[in-house]
Amino acid sequence: MNKKRLTALIIGCAIIAFFVLMAAFPSIFTHYGAKEMFDSWQSPSAVHMLGTNDMGYDIFTELVYGAGQTLLISVSSGLIAMLLGTVIGMLAAMNNLVGHIFNGIINVFMLLPKLVCLIVVAAFLGRSQIATILLIAAFGWVGTARAVRARTLKIANSVFIENCVIQGYSKLHIAMRHVLPNLYDVLFSRLVSCVSGCVMMESSLSFLGIGDLYNPTWGTMINFAFRRGAFIRRAYNWLLVPAVAISLLVLAFYLIGLAVKKREA
Amino acid sequence: MKKYIKNIVVCLVCFLFIILLNFALPRLISGDPVAYLTGMDEGSMSVEQYEFYRNALHIDENAFVQFGYYLKDIFAGRLGYSFRKQASVAELIGTRIGATLQISFAAVVISCALALVWGLTSGSKKGLLDKVSTPVNVLVGTFPTFLIGMILIIVFSFDFKIFPYSGLNSPDAEGGAAYFFDRIYHLILPVVTLIAVMLPSRFLLMRNTVRTAMGERYVLFARQRGLNMHRIRYSYLLKNVAPPFATMVGMSVGASIGGSVIVENLFSINGMGTLLTDAVYALDYPLLQGVLFVSAAIAMVSIVLTDIICIIIDPKARSEGVK
Repeated sequence: MNKKRLTALIIGCAIIAFFVLMAAFPSIFTHYGAKEMFDSWQSPSAVHMLGTNDMGYDIFTELVYGAGQTLLISVSSGLIAMLLGTVIGMLAAMNNLVGHIFNGIINVFMLLPKLVCLIVVAAFLGRSQIATILLIAAFGWVGTARAVRARTLKIANSVFIENCVIQGYSKLHIAMRHVLPNLYDVLFSRLVSCVSGCVMMESSLSFLGIGDLYNPTWGTMINFAFRRGAFIRRAYNWLLVPAVAISLLVLAFYLIGLAVKKREA
Repeated sequence: MKKYIKNIVVCLVCFLFIILLNFALPRLISGDPVAYLTGMDEGSMSVEQYEFYRNALHIDENAFVQFGYYLKDIFAGRLGYSFRKQASVAELIGTRIGATLQISFAAVVISCALALVWGLTSGSKKGLLDKVSTPVNVLVGTFPTFLIGMILIIVFSFDFKIFPYSGLNSPDAEGGAAYFFDRIYHLILPVVTLIAVMLPSRFLLMRNTVRTAMGERYVLFARQRGLNMHRIRYSYLLKNVAPPFATMVGMSVGASIGGSVIVENLFSINGMGTLLTDAVYALDYPLLQGVLFVSAAIAMVSIVLTDIICIIIDPKARSEGVK
């Protein structure tokens, strides 16, 4: 691995480690409680690093506590989406009716207008956190499934799989023991982009005010800031900082993906 | 040819999926379908009202008959009735869709054209341009839509006061050319936001496609004959990257309608996107379904159209058809 890729990997990991630390131990970063109130609309100062919002909450504290929620929703939905994508992708690689059906499902999901579908189904399912996670996963698996399908097709044509077939192993055994371990590099690079896609979807949804408002994520913070007049009051600290945090998170995943993808090539 | 026909079939299946989803959502989810379909809760309805809606919505019939009524409603062009707003869904969407289409089509056309030219230039020549534009696009690609929109509003509306930050027309604008230019003036920021969101992934796709095509032998041959880069780009490479480009444009329409939801909310534009988010807050389920139906329809129609264009422009597809 050359120096450039190593730097990308280190920077990406550092950013994510920082956010994970924020999520796991919020009390290291801030000594205020999540719902502690001060004077409202303060600008950034030594006491309040990013100022306070309309209710008087410390914005930096909100940001720290929001990291946990954002990561929880996007990582768990990303993992579920990965699982779905791997299973469906491997099923779609089969050369029979089941394979064709699953391949058709992949193609259909490719074409759906994702965001509008997400919003409408979310409105029906309600605002719970679990519903949001499952929904994002339900629309986030497509890319993974396509990548897994392509790689599985390639592996299925190789000699060692032919040998397995001659040995008389069952399809399930071949899939689990021989194909799956060879998918690891696709899976790892997809995991990274899958999670960052879920971060984007989650933030778009919560910016529109859809999702669990009791456990605010960064997107929800921006939604509140936008609806409660942070623009008029020029409270850019409240509007922009969570958005920048979101793009940093996505960028970090991209950098890790870059390092991983280049190594395989 | 076969590939494109297959694509069109997938589109139709996709559309059917949306119709089924729309039909099944209020009926499968726990809770009274009458409440979902009217958008009112059980407590606020009198018994007569409840019975009236139950009859009007044919809830007691079996699922196939209900589906028949639903299809009839779609083909009659009503798309259901919003009991909250006391109007048919088609009417409500009809008054709002113009704004959405203006934003999203402008964004699709401009961002795809930019991606094509920029991708061709940057992909066909290794140099400073390529070195700079790829990382810049990757970086912009990580920005969420609302971040780009908010930065543009802050810079151009609040600090420099060049562009308006909300609406699609000034309140006093009316009639003729003045109205038209006022509209263009208001459209600039929302459209630029959407372009900035859509451009990076499309640029990278075009650049990589061109980069791969550069390794082909026809390019080598053209270069050996001493043709200049401009000629190679626009008469040789362009023809070969045209089919993937057309597919990309078709797929972009659906994405742009999704992006337009956020942009409209950000710029307080009365389009289909704000209609959608209002419907979410008001729990106006028929309206939600209508918006999903219409946006899926637009996305599918554009994909089918570009596939047909692909069949026309792609000689490989054509000759296959003749055989």
